[in-house]
This record gives sequence, structure tokens and C-alpha cells, in this order.
Amino acid sequence: MHCISNAIGKWPYKLMRFTSSSKFFPHKPFFSFSSSFPSSIAATMSTVNDAVTHKTHQPLQIAKRLEKFQTTIFTQMSLLAIKHGAINLGQGFPNFDGPQFVKEAAVQAIRDGRNQYARGYGIPELNLAIADRFKKDTGVVVDPEKEVTVTSGCTEAIAATMLGLINPGDEVILFAPFYDSYEATLSMAGAKVKGITLRPPDFAVPLEELKSAISKNTRAILINTPHNPTGKMFTQEELNFIASLCIENDVLVFADEVYDKLAFDMEHISMASLPGMYERTVTMNSLGKTFSLTGWKIGWAIAPPHLTWGVRQAHAFLTFATSHPFQCAAAAALRAPDSYYAELKRDYMEKRAILVEGLKAVGFKVFPSSGTYFVVVDHTPFGLDNDVAFCEYLVKEVGVVAIPTSVFYLNPEEGKNLVRFTFCKDEDTIRSAVERMKEKLRK
Amino acid sequence: MSKVSTENETTIQKTHQPLQVAKRLEHLQKDRGGASNLNDGTINLGRGIPNFDGPEFIKEAAIQAIRDGNNQYAPGKGVSDLNIAIAERFKKDTGLVVDPYKEVTVTSGCLEAIAATALGLINPGDEVILFSPSYDGYVGNFALAGAKIISITLHPPHFVVPIEELKSTVSRNTRAILINTPHNPTGKMFTLEELNSIAALCIENDVLVFADEVYDKLAYDMEHISMASLPGMYERTVTMNSLAKTFSLTGWKIGWAIAPPHLTWGLRQAHSYLVFSSPTPLQCATAVALRAPDSYYVEQRRDYMAKKEILVEGLKAAGFKVIPPNGGFCVLADHTPFGLENDVSFCEYLHKEIGVLAIPCSVFSLKNPEEGKNLVRFVFCKDDETLREAVQRMKKLKK
Repeated sequence: MHCISNAIGKWPYKLMRFTSSSKFFPHKPFFSFSSSFPSSIAATMSTVNDAVTHKTHQPLQIAKRLEKFQTTIFTQMSLLAIKHGAINLGQGFPNFDGPQFVKEAAVQAIRDGRNQYARGYGIPELNLAIADRFKKDTGVVVDPEKEVTVTSGCTEAIAATMLGLINPGDEVILFAPFYDSYEATLSMAGAKVKGITLRPPDFAVPLEELKSAISKNTRAILINTPHNPTGKMFTQEELNFIASLCIENDVLVFADEVYDKLAFDMEHISMASLPGMYERTVTMNSLGKTFSLTGWKIGWAIAPPHLTWGVRQAHAFLTFATSHPFQCAAAAALRAPDSYYAELKRDYMEKRAILVEGLKAVGFKVFPSSGTYFVVVDHTPFGLDNDVAFCEYLVKEVGVVAIPTSVFYLNPEEGKNLVRFTFCKDEDTIRSAVERMKEKLRK
Repeated sequence: MSKVSTENETTIQKTHQPLQVAKRLEHLQKDRGGASNLNDGTINLGRGIPNFDGPEFIKEAAIQAIRDGNNQYAPGKGVSDLNIAIAERFKKDTGLVVDPYKEVTVTSGCLEAIAATALGLINPGDEVILFSPSYDGYVGNFALAGAKIISITLHPPHFVVPIEELKSTVSRNTRAILINTPHNPTGKMFTLEELNSIAALCIENDVLVFADEVYDKLAYDMEHISMASLPGMYERTVTMNSLAKTFSLTGWKIGWAIAPPHLTWGLRQAHSYLVFSSPTPLQCATAVALRAPDSYYVEQRRDYMAKKEILVEGLKAAGFKVIPPNGGFCVLADHTPFGLENDVSFCEYLHKEIGVLAIPCSVFSLKNPEEGKNLVRFVFCKDDETLREAVQRMKKLKK
């Protein structure tokens, strides 16, 4: 399998060259990969004092559940950014730091000796802060001890939810495009995935298609709002429609709401707050995006006790507990005053304006993004074959990194016209990126 | 359980509903983790949580990293400097030279390394051999991957690996064997002879070894030996470790897996979709930790040996039959002289009447809880005074 073998050693131009067939690998037993290795991984002969290990070429091993996945696109693109000195508007991490008061809370926690195992499902003060915040945001009252679980980032909340509540063969509905860990963790859980594509320009939920996709056989539906990568926010109408289908067919909702505080053009609505929905919803969130501390990896899942049970069981065997000092700091963060959130929104809206106007001026077709710090654009005016080719060109010739969206679809072909930019960067960086594109991108 | 709300809150009718959990995890114990936040004056020698802090120099390194702004996503495989420090330490410890970027993966604690190894390299139905008793998380890690667990019991008093039984159990159907050395809960350290025998079986039957070596720096009576350092074994071994036990920072959750590229691939893929990456500032500090001078390790070992002495002698004086550990910070003691029915009832008695917490060994038994019923586990990762106080209290135990 050429995709996987090139993942290590050779830089991944081949890796990124998606054809629609490359994602669908036939079942293979473990040792079937006859890949050729770059010599850099080959036999490592050591010096006199070291053990000679004779590391021979061996085919890569991976469990079947993960066979079809490659190195995450974020890893690939960030490495490319460094290699080419490109301005990274790809992976969603800020190039500015988190707020002082949160950082200092972590420093204090470390100095106070909060450095031993935290309680598995979260330290009491953080669970409480999460419950308080959730009540403020949604009006829903939850029990911090029985209905809140702290995880190593929202990514782990997703993994724990999938592995804790999904059986092999369970049908799960996924809206494409989607954050890449959804498909991978669904595969780890052996789910049968049904994709529903959200299409430009407004990425509205195709209600009739959804209606015919959901049945009593559906175990769960995954909703990410505000939505990565499109910036779409699920409307009240869409959520009501989905809710009634879920209630009718006894379907769970897994709601990834990490960008809920980056809601610009409309109010964020949590599915769990709709009538009849709390009891069937796992609501996930994290510290990282809201507080510009993506590297701290503090996330959480809020769910009724009967669903929290499964999430916690899986979590117990994935990481068991989450970093203690950062949990302490997260509790402080979540008690930030309203002014913090107002300022965050205002800052990001300014950044969005710079990027969106800039991308339009460059010649992209820009789709409106209501939330998150991402915007998706159509690159076809520039005449490249597909999104991967465009992103390669953009890095190497223009010096800007974007993310090809095809990797966020079950069928990569569906993303070939679209690429994603992020605006979680300081304004000068965004302006510089726009300038580079104005200069060097030609239709 | 319905909740009636105030004006501003939504009314949620939270009704009792049966607990839901995926089949893969159904069979696992309902309640792990033991009581860790007791405020009633009980001395907790149950779970392995130090009641002293980690070293200042490491804490300050983390603080510096936070203040320097190292707060965004680390690369999935780890902060470069940490990967390098891990490789350097591994070379110092085992003589093995590994590539920090291709053969070292940083994880959110050693537990996540095991979970990633299981989900990344084990298919449903694959046979995995575990020794019993064992750390009670392993069965769950492998249950996530649908492994078929085959357990081999280590019997007191010496918990020697039953080689003949192992020989008849390992076959070409065996995918992997997990070795935890120094061993929790017994304190056993796998000898060179045992490791050689296991290695021969692995090579003959093409079996992987997953080596959990988190207690490797707490080795008292003999040298710690890494399976990966035996001839022919590096290419089939995933060696896992963490910051926690060595540096008394169990709450930071920074671990790692060292494996040849063809095994690193699977575990790294799983890791990238389970957590993506581990806390950046704590990784920076871990790199500093791993460059601690030899004196740190010498002093730590000395301190732990003193603690071991206090507890082991104290338990003996109280009337237990003690199995002194060769490594780690746990000790198993036979409680039967006190005439209670089994380990669980003994621990209840110890908690209520004596004010000391231990863990019943049956919790760690994979095959049959009966196997552990005579034994309870104490930890000695506590300050000396606490250990002395616990020993003092246990003098009240009546035979």
C-alpha cells in the first residue's frame, strides 16, 4: 500500500495524492504490506558500546481497524509548513498564547503540588466549573459528579464516546466534511458509517436525505456545531428536525461543540438543550479553542448518567485520568467573566474579516463561515486539478499552508474543489499570508 | 430522578435508564480506582499515589515552558526535545540506539501507550498473554481491541514464571505477550533466565512483546533488564515507560513507547486518533527530567529502599507473612495469620478498625479472584513518617 509505506521517511507527496479508490483498501491480514523502505530507516549499526540491533526492513504493521488511515493531514501539513517556511493557515492552532490568568493558575497548581493522579473522571472543582458553565450556556442543570467526565482533550472525549457506546456493526450517521478523528474512532469501534454530505454554498443539512438515512437501525448521529471545516452553525430548524428523528427512532446524538464560543453570526445552540434530547446526547467540548491553549489537552463530555457510564468505562482504559495541574487551571478559565468571551469573539471577527476580504480579493470563491476559526473556499479559479494539488502548490510556490478538505470526506472526490484556511493567527500573519497570495496566486 | 427548575432553567426529566456500555467493555469490573480522597484520617497505602511532590527542577521547567508560551499542539509523536531525551535515556539504560523521531512516540501516560499499542497493533480475536496477578488496567486496554486474553498465573512466594506452562501456551497463534517488570503488584523483577526463555519462545513463534517498564528506576535487588535489549528482541518489542513513578509526578500523564518503525506505525496511528498529542509544557519539562544526573536516581533508589525497609519490617512485626519486592513500590503480604475470611474482608477490617487502606490482591487476578485471596497489596510511595504511623497502627492487628 503505497500510501502507508511512504508515510515514514519520504516526504508525503504521494501520501497526499488521493484518488477516490485509495481510501478503500480491501481487507488485508497483518503481514501483507510489501513496501519498500527508504534507506534511512534501514539497518542501524551502532558503535562499540551500544548493542547491535540489526534493524531490518520490515513491513509496517497496523490493526485492521486503522488500515485505511494515513498520518493525520494536520501532521503532514504542519511539517510541510516548516520545511518551506510557509505561513501556516492550515492546522488550527493559534500563533498567540492563552490568557495570562489561566497560565498563572496552572503555574500556581504546579507550585501547590497538584501533581499527582487526578480523580479519573475529573477533579471536583473542574467538574463543577464545567457544570456551571453548561448551565450558563444552555440552561441545562447537570450533576458534576454523575454527568461530567474530563478527558485528554475533546479528541479523547470522542474516542471514549465511540469506544464506550458503539458496538461493531452499529450504524452511525456522520455529516461530511468532518474532523478526521471521527471516522478513525468510528472505525476503531467497528461502526457502520453513513455519510451525509453538506454542500456549498451554505452547507445546509439536506433534510430529506437525512430523513431517509435515519431509521430504527441508527445508533447515533454525530453533530459538530459550530462546524469544522465549513464554519457552518446548525440552525434551530435543523436541530429541531434532527431531534424529532432521533426521538422517533431512539438515536443518540454525539455533539462536538469545541467552537461554541466562536459563534459569530448566530447564537450557538446545544442539541442537549432541546426538549427530549438531553437524555440521549453526549455533549463534548474543550479548553483549547476557547482559551488558545490547544496544547494543554483538557476536554470533557457531558451526558446523562446512563450514557456517561459507557464513556467513563472507555476513558478508564484510554488514559484513566487527565493532567492534574491543567485541570486546576481549566476550572479557573471556565469562570472567566463575560467580558473575556465578548472580547474573544470581537477579536476573532476582526481576524475573520481580514482573511475573508483578503481571500475574496485574491480570487477565491469564499463560503460564508458563521463560527469556528475556519473558512472554506473554492480554489478552482486557479486551475489546479484538486485540493491536494492546490495545497501543494500553495505551500511550495506561494508560501502559505491551507488544508485540503478531501481528507474530511468519506468520498474524497467530494472535497476536491475546497480547501480550508484558519484565522486563529495574529492579524499581521493573516495580512502577510493574504499579501503573499495576492502576489503569487494567479488565475 | 426528575428535576424541577427555577424560572431560568430548563426542566429536564431525567428518568432512570439502564446503563449503556459497548459490548467490548461489558465484562469489566464496575469500579476501579479505589478511594483516593479520604479525609477521615485513614492512611492510604492502597493506590500508588505519592504523598510527596515531584522535584522542584522539573516543576520549574514546566512553569518556564508555560510562561515561554509552549502551549499549543505538540507534534503528535512528541515534542522533539523530549523524543531526543527519551532516546538518550534509553541508550544509557539499555545500550540500544533508537531514532527519536521514528521509534519514540510520546503518549498521555503509559496507560495511553498501552491503549494505543492495543488498538494499533491488535486485531479482534488475537491472542495476548498476560501474567496474573497484573495491573488491573491491562484487561481493559486489550478489551478495547477485542483481544483474547490468556493468563498465566505467577504463584507466591517467588512468582517465578512457569516456563513449561508458558511453552505449552505460546504458539503461532499468539500475537503478543505483555511483560511488566518490575512487576505490579508482586514487586517481582523478571530475571535474565526468564526473559531469555520468553524471548526464545517469542522468536520461535513470531510473538510481539509489550513491555511495561514504568518502575524500571525502582530496582532494588537486581538490575532492571529490558526485553528489547535481548538479541533478536528489539524488532518485536514495544517498550513503554512514563514520567510518573520515576519522578513522583503521577498526575502529569506523560508516557512513551519505544518500538522499531514497523511497530511504531500502528501505535502512533492509534495514538493520533485517541488523543492526537500530549500536553506540551509537561513534555518540555519531562525532557529536562530525563536529563537528571545519576545522583538523582541513586538518591531516589536509596530513599525508596529505606521506605521499603520501614514497611516490610513493620508488616513482619505486625504479624504478616511478607513477600519482599525486588522492585517497584508495592509489597504483597499474606494476611491469613489474622484469621479473616479473604483479602476483601481483611481490607475492610484494616480500613475500619485499624485505619489503614490496602488493596485486596484478588483485584489483580485475571483468572480467578480466589488466587489472590490470601494476599493484600500495600504501597510505600509515601513519606517515611506516614509509613511509620501506618506500621504503628497495624501493631494493633490481632492474630
